[in-house]
Amino acid sequence: MQRPLDGFRVLDLSDETGFLCGRMLAELGADVVKVEPPSGDPARFRPPYVGGIADPERAVTWLAYNASKRGVTLDLAAAEGRALFDRLCATADAIVETYDPATLAVLKLDWAMLHAAHPQLVVCSITPFGRTGPYAAFRGSDVTVTAMGGNMALTGDPDRAPLRCTMPSSYYHGGAEAASGLLVALLARGVIGEGQHVDVSLQAAMVSTIMTGASQWAMDRRDRGRTGASYPVGKTLQREVWRCKDGFVSYALRGGPARVPGLQATERWLAEEKIAAPAWQGRDWKAYNHNDLTQDQVDALSAPLQELFLRKPMRELFDESVRRGVMLAPVNDSREIANGAQLRSREFFVEVDDAKRGLRYELPARFAQMSRYGTDVRGAAPLLGEHNAEVYGAIGVSAAEVDELRRAGVI
Amino acid sequence: MRETSSTSSTGKAKALAGLKVVELGGGAAGPIAIRHLADHGATVIRIESASRPDFLRVLGLSKTNRSLDRAPMFMMLNCNKMSVALNLSDPRGVALARRLIVEWADVLAENYAPKAMKKWGLDYQSLVELKPDLIMVSTCLMGQTGPNKDYPGFGGQGSAISGFNYLTGWPDREATGQHGTITDSLAPRFVAAAVLAALLRKQKTGEGTYIDVAQVETAAYSLSGWMLEYFANGEVVRRDGNRSRVAAPHGAFRCRGNDRWCTIACHDDDDWRRLARAIGSPGWALDPRFATLEGRKASEDDLEALLASWTGERGAEDVVSTLQSAGVEAGVVETPRDLNADPQLAHRGHFVPVQHAVLGPHTCERLGYALSATPGEIERQGPLLGEHGTYVYRDILRLSEQEVAALHGEGVLG
Repeated sequence: MQRPLDGFRVLDLSDETGFLCGRMLAELGADVVKVEPPSGDPARFRPPYVGGIADPERAVTWLAYNASKRGVTLDLAAAEGRALFDRLCATADAIVETYDPATLAVLKLDWAMLHAAHPQLVVCSITPFGRTGPYAAFRGSDVTVTAMGGNMALTGDPDRAPLRCTMPSSYYHGGAEAASGLLVALLARGVIGEGQHVDVSLQAAMVSTIMTGASQWAMDRRDRGRTGASYPVGKTLQREVWRCKDGFVSYALRGGPARVPGLQATERWLAEEKIAAPAWQGRDWKAYNHNDLTQDQVDALSAPLQELFLRKPMRELFDESVRRGVMLAPVNDSREIANGAQLRSREFFVEVDDAKRGLRYELPARFAQMSRYGTDVRGAAPLLGEHNAEVYGAIGVSAAEVDELRRAGVI
Repeated sequence: MRETSSTSSTGKAKALAGLKVVELGGGAAGPIAIRHLADHGATVIRIESASRPDFLRVLGLSKTNRSLDRAPMFMMLNCNKMSVALNLSDPRGVALARRLIVEWADVLAENYAPKAMKKWGLDYQSLVELKPDLIMVSTCLMGQTGPNKDYPGFGGQGSAISGFNYLTGWPDREATGQHGTITDSLAPRFVAAAVLAALLRKQKTGEGTYIDVAQVETAAYSLSGWMLEYFANGEVVRRDGNRSRVAAPHGAFRCRGNDRWCTIACHDDDDWRRLARAIGSPGWALDPRFATLEGRKASEDDLEALLASWTGERGAEDVVSTLQSAGVEAGVVETPRDLNADPQLAHRGHFVPVQHAVLGPHTCERLGYALSATPGEIERQGPLLGEHGTYVYRDILRLSEQEVAALHGEGVLG
């Protein structure tokens, strides 16, 4: 099946912070060539590993986020390596890179130099804070950009430290944001006739995760701290994540037209369970406004709900909620997501036959389904240097030359 | 001329000048995605109605002032868009919406529950008959197919279903989830990428496509690494506070002041040696059990307590400047107040001042990327409900004044 980005080529020089961008572009159809140093990308040398075997071909992060790409090795610091890279650039539409400023300078890969040599190229930089500005040289991995992007101060319990997500969520926000920016720049080539620099800041991408919280503070100057599993609404705290019999569920006491049927269904459910709920019974939900509640009213609505949730396991609560139209969701772990009927029915998971490693595993796939085009996983992440002969051969490097470059340690 | 301008106020070209987009729906996830188009020059018209307003138009408003034109979040998320009011419970309102899509739009974006568009006959199957090259994107929580497609949900549920809630919290406590309804900020980036890819394709082939993006799937796709660890190893990785399997120290540490914190992360033993030197090589920092990552992980409780005793006597900004100057990763845990004073965000022009006719002065926020040659801009306030009705009725749909007056009178426009 054809893919929307068929015919585009992207050179992916990114580390873990940018892997997702290239994977998305590859599944949308671009020929994404991952360029690694001959020693291998650092992500190959970090656990976890498939089967717990510390082997650079079994690193979970590598396999998960470089699927669908081709892979070559190249020493960009060597003169022959750089010459080869420039020949690759001549065939490419875009580059994704995540170098720290010092390495970027040593490798002479900054935007201006690349643009002078290859005006058609879109160069997408994914860095903690952006390529220019007072923090451009600051170091920042997920925990720090999540903090400096404003999400962390509002996440977690008030009596403990602010929190990040245990998986590096900023790399996902930033990687997907980068894919969008890079594609805007490819479209812009039709207007300006050349490539440009796409300067992604993980910090800036994270600011939007607090949903205009920064801009709203500038208007009302109200400081909101961490409120754990509850949300500050008006002058109250309203619980969002609730304990149930075997885990947690998410449920909000919010009103508004879209939520009225769910609130009515909750009221009926409490009655059927014979849970005393005077705050629920007979309420005019169309007139209900969660912004106007007092904390006592919130508590009176919350207590019977908590009783209902503690009676039942998460799965049963969710299935019943789907049936009843109640807006409750399970706090799923990876096993529950893997076995979810909804995702399975949409063939969201695809089995990757990674024959070159002797492995089979499933991966989430098809972040967008298109009526006319395929967007599925295109194959397992590349082995180290897997496509050297193929990729370099296509730009006129002979097999003998590939061998020579390999002996010289350039690829 | 009411179309979005093709060059920015500084004279730079806009990447998507001339692109025409109709947006239906509301909340955050759908409209944020279309900002990627609007900020780069596309003309975006939201079809709304006063009888069933976008819930963000009333979010956070008090009992006393329920104006549909002053809810901050709506205006901040929907700048650069226009609004036309059409009553879609009247077939004539639907017919006008259909005309706007078929005769004018290149892209239709919607994020209603799956049954809504079908009910109006504005689903892709119906529209593609009339407009074969339409690009249409639907973004509901669970997707357009499957047993739970009609499950009514918002971003809060999306974060729970897709794993982000489970992964955020302390190991000895309940999952809290990351602040914000995380699928509402994550999914739009995927929706935008999919639409932009379809636009690139259309430039080559002239063909449109239908795009179905389930918000929970973009989130679970993002968590591919977490999912693969389960699929390949049967391992369900749990939330672990701020700790990392491959770095220590790695977390947030209390600083001097009222609820002030900074992050510190050492990714290898060289980082740790730099940190120890930067804090003046106190005796505990030279303890050999901390010399290796393995040792630091084994004594992480002690390590964190000792480091916190150093940060606790210093301001967060001082800690960060001391450590970053020494090449060690550190950052202030910025509050919304801090974000407004952050020099790096200011350097990027992240917060753009907007003078809104009803809300007054406020800021809108730029996307996470800056384009060097076609930076785009924020040139319009978030639209008042139906603000651009005249432009749509007269200039696009070519209705006469009498027709408009009659439709108004009969409640079709509004």
